[in-house]
Amino acid sequence: MDDTNQINEKDKKSQESTHKIGIYLWIWGLLFVLSFFSYMVDWYQFQGMLRWSLILFFMFAKAGLIMAFFMHLFWERYALVNVLLWPMTAIACFVFLMAAEFEYTLFSRMFYFFVGGGV
Amino acid sequence: MSDPKIDGFELKPGFRGMASDTGSDQTMFKGVHWGKAMMWIFLLSDTFVFSCFLIAYMKGRGSTPVEWPNPSEVFALEAFGVPVPLLLIALMTFVLITSSGTMALAVKYGYEKNRKMCGWLVLATAIGGLTFVGMQAYEWSKLIHEGVRPWENPFGAAQFGSFFFMITGFHGTHVSIGVIFLFIYAYKVFAGHYENGGKRGWFTTMKGDYVEIEILGLYWHFVDLVWVFIFAFFYLW
Amino acid sequence: MSDEYENKSGYQAQSSEALTGSAGSTPDMDYVRPAELPEQDLYHGHTFLTKWVFCQDAKVIGVQYFLTAVFTGIVGLILSWLMRLQLGFPGLAGFITAEHYYQFVTMHGMIMVVYFLTALFLGGFGNYLIPLMVGARDMVFPYVNMLSFWMFFVAVAVLMASFFVPGGPTGAGWTLYPPQTILEGTPGSGMGILLMLVSLALFVIGFTMGGLNYMITVLQARTRGMTLMRMPLTVWGIFTATVLAMLAFPALLVSAIMMTLDKVIGTSFFMPTILKAGEVLEYGGGSPILFQHLFWFFGHPEVYIVALPAFGIVSDLISVHARKNIFGYRMMVWAIVGIGALSFFVWAHHMYVSGMNPWFGFFFATTTLIIAVPTAMKVYNWILTLWRGNIRINTVMLWCLGFIVTFVNGGITGIFLGNVSVDVPLSDTYFVVAHFHMVMGIAPVMVIMGAVYHWFPLITGRLLNETLGKWHFWATFLGAYSIYFPMHYLGFIGVPRRYYEMYDSPYMTSAVGMNEFISLAAFLVGAAQFILIFNIIKTLKTGKPSPKNPWKANSLEWHTSTQPPEHGNFGERLPVVHRWPYDFSVPGAKDDFIPQTTPPSEVAHTKVEKT
Repeated sequence: MDDTNQINEKDKKSQESTHKIGIYLWIWGLLFVLSFFSYMVDWYQFQGMLRWSLILFFMFAKAGLIMAFFMHLFWERYALVNVLLWPMTAIACFVFLMAAEFEYTLFSRMFYFFVGGGV
Repeated sequence: MSDPKIDGFELKPGFRGMASDTGSDQTMFKGVHWGKAMMWIFLLSDTFVFSCFLIAYMKGRGSTPVEWPNPSEVFALEAFGVPVPLLLIALMTFVLITSSGTMALAVKYGYEKNRKMCGWLVLATAIGGLTFVGMQAYEWSKLIHEGVRPWENPFGAAQFGSFFFMITGFHGTHVSIGVIFLFIYAYKVFAGHYENGGKRGWFTTMKGDYVEIEILGLYWHFVDLVWVFIFAFFYLW
Repeated sequence: MSDEYENKSGYQAQSSEALTGSAGSTPDMDYVRPAELPEQDLYHGHTFLTKWVFCQDAKVIGVQYFLTAVFTGIVGLILSWLMRLQLGFPGLAGFITAEHYYQFVTMHGMIMVVYFLTALFLGGFGNYLIPLMVGARDMVFPYVNMLSFWMFFVAVAVLMASFFVPGGPTGAGWTLYPPQTILEGTPGSGMGILLMLVSLALFVIGFTMGGLNYMITVLQARTRGMTLMRMPLTVWGIFTATVLAMLAFPALLVSAIMMTLDKVIGTSFFMPTILKAGEVLEYGGGSPILFQHLFWFFGHPEVYIVALPAFGIVSDLISVHARKNIFGYRMMVWAIVGIGALSFFVWAHHMYVSGMNPWFGFFFATTTLIIAVPTAMKVYNWILTLWRGNIRINTVMLWCLGFIVTFVNGGITGIFLGNVSVDVPLSDTYFVVAHFHMVMGIAPVMVIMGAVYHWFPLITGRLLNETLGKWHFWATFLGAYSIYFPMHYLGFIGVPRRYYEMYDSPYMTSAVGMNEFISLAAFLVGAAQFILIFNIIKTLKTGKPSPKNPWKANSLEWHTSTQPPEHGNFGERLPVVHRWPYDFSVPGAKDDFIPQTTPPSEVAHTKVEKT
């Protein structure tokens, strides 16, 4: 009977320790709102830097919310969070360098195919 | 949260906590189930897969001298006789986020040992995923009908079709695998595999536990996460 | 609040005997905090099939990986013989056509880098040593681990099958650069390349399953008292290499998928517009450079996937056989981690002559030269470990010394090639061939040999024959230098790599004799490897039984209940770790080694460091 008492107590505690339903509903709602806004970016046909910054802002906001709250990363210990996020610097480096690379490829294609690079 | 303890080890918050966790024996991620740690690392690896796909897409799209089709027009859908840009995509996003929300709640109810609620929510997630796959199939068939092929399309650069089918296909495969597992796990929850100490699962000698729902949830949220990036880069760019 | 953690993760702490030490008010110096996790349930096989074939014991899986990898390695070795036969004595073997030669080059490269070295270090040594060295019963998910090996096995089978399909295996070079890889005219551009890509994808999937196991075992399943900074460097090396593999193989997978699509359904990810015999092919608009970036984003970390386990293992071997603690343990760990992290930022130094954005040369030359810093630190530390050590010149130590020399050699030529202006004239010459064979071919293989002689008693309970071992070493060491030293010179006079034959180019005449010499040395070195195989067979039959812990090492794998260790590794109870594995020759201690399990109270009177 001692045992059963313990289990009951544990169950109670675990119920307390899970997160309130409100927070999930809030995040859920926010995700819908952010998705709606990012859809509106296309609807109103914003162009140029404005479009890009809005797209990226909404994208990272949504991704951050999903990771932080739905995937519980916000409540995880920093050891896990850091292990997961630091490798992204390699991806960031890859993205920036490939962005520079496609500019150069486009330049050389334009130059040699259309302008005529000569010899 | 006040400082919790784990077996004679004080769990400090923040970066101090990280230092002491890293310096401790036995486990580095304190209190994290093996399977959950494994799923996280797998997702990290999978993130690199999708990142490479998207980087390749960026490189391909950025360097083509041929005009890239305007996604806003290509993916428009007629509603009440008016072409609405990206209507189907918006619906797909809606469905996927909805299923992500039900999954998050399923995890919560799982930890509260609310078997019924958890099971129904996992099932709802599975149905949401299935809807998404169905809509994607519709989108694919519509594009194929319009003449878009992986090797050519009537709107512009051939790479448009190649990248579109490859990346959404790879994402769709992830969703489909997720849907299969969601159905299996919905059954497992309803059958009570996680109750009373748990039943031994396959692939492992470990006893079942509601943490498995969280692991499955991680995968499902990741699929949603990838969609956020695909949505931004493929449909809005 | 501790309940939250217990409940969430579904396991309950066992705090039975462990807490007794801390109960009193006097601090007990031998106190190690109690186990966080319960004992792991293991599946013990009963039939031949579950015991030896579909076995879930990491040690058996490790040996399976090892044998399969060695088999592919022998195939790679034979291919290199055939290549040297053609290069040294062109036309002597009439069956080697130019097409065959390219196929040999390609398969030799791919086999040696991926299916031999990677599988052997991570799959073989990783599986065998990680659970033993961190004090775990087994890998965390033994079933997945078993699947990992069989996936690798299927990948090898698919790869070997490509030798027998019409057209033969691919002959595009191990880098598989498009567009020529999948164009007609390249040998094996039909089924050969397809099987290669499928095999690579299978390898990546199989490796992912294994890699998750290695990582989580190191991070989450260490025994009591085993902190990260008490792990042997072997584990650090294999662990970091696994992390690299988990993050780098995705790029290979992606490039394999995209190339398969280019090949099979005619997309143009990597294929530019191509004129062939006056006709424009269906391809157009793709970017071959993109493939090179993706490939080398995998390929450069891959170099360190091979090198880091070698670094780790050699550190342990040197420390044990010089009876001295490893010099600068923490520096060694950070160097491994630093090299691993940096390896993701240097990939395009393989592409200086590819026609990429010219600004990249500056960025990648800088990062490449930075990586030399932690690498050099490691070399200094090995030498300082040997410095005034009680060096035992046995076979293992000979291999270690051979490794250091070879690695320094290969590393220095790496600095040449890391600089754009020096690389441009040397690119695609035999200088490059010499460089990478020295640094990631011979050097890691020397470590593997040392490791085989070192751990053979643990795995089989018998000591390998020392005399044969020394013959094996000297033949390999001198032979390898006879092969690769002249190659540097060939590179300087401009002999290009991957050429089937030099024909009568006047500036090549001075290379003819040298090529013959290299070929003869290559035949000898290859043959010398069979000394090891002979040694192993002889030892298994009639070798002298090894005493327990023959090298008097400290790390946990030598302190199991039985030798060789049985399934579950440690018998009744898991070891408790009190120190790092490098307490050799401690002043005041009874023996010249203090095992990791020795509690501090037993050696309180010695001058042992607190670790």
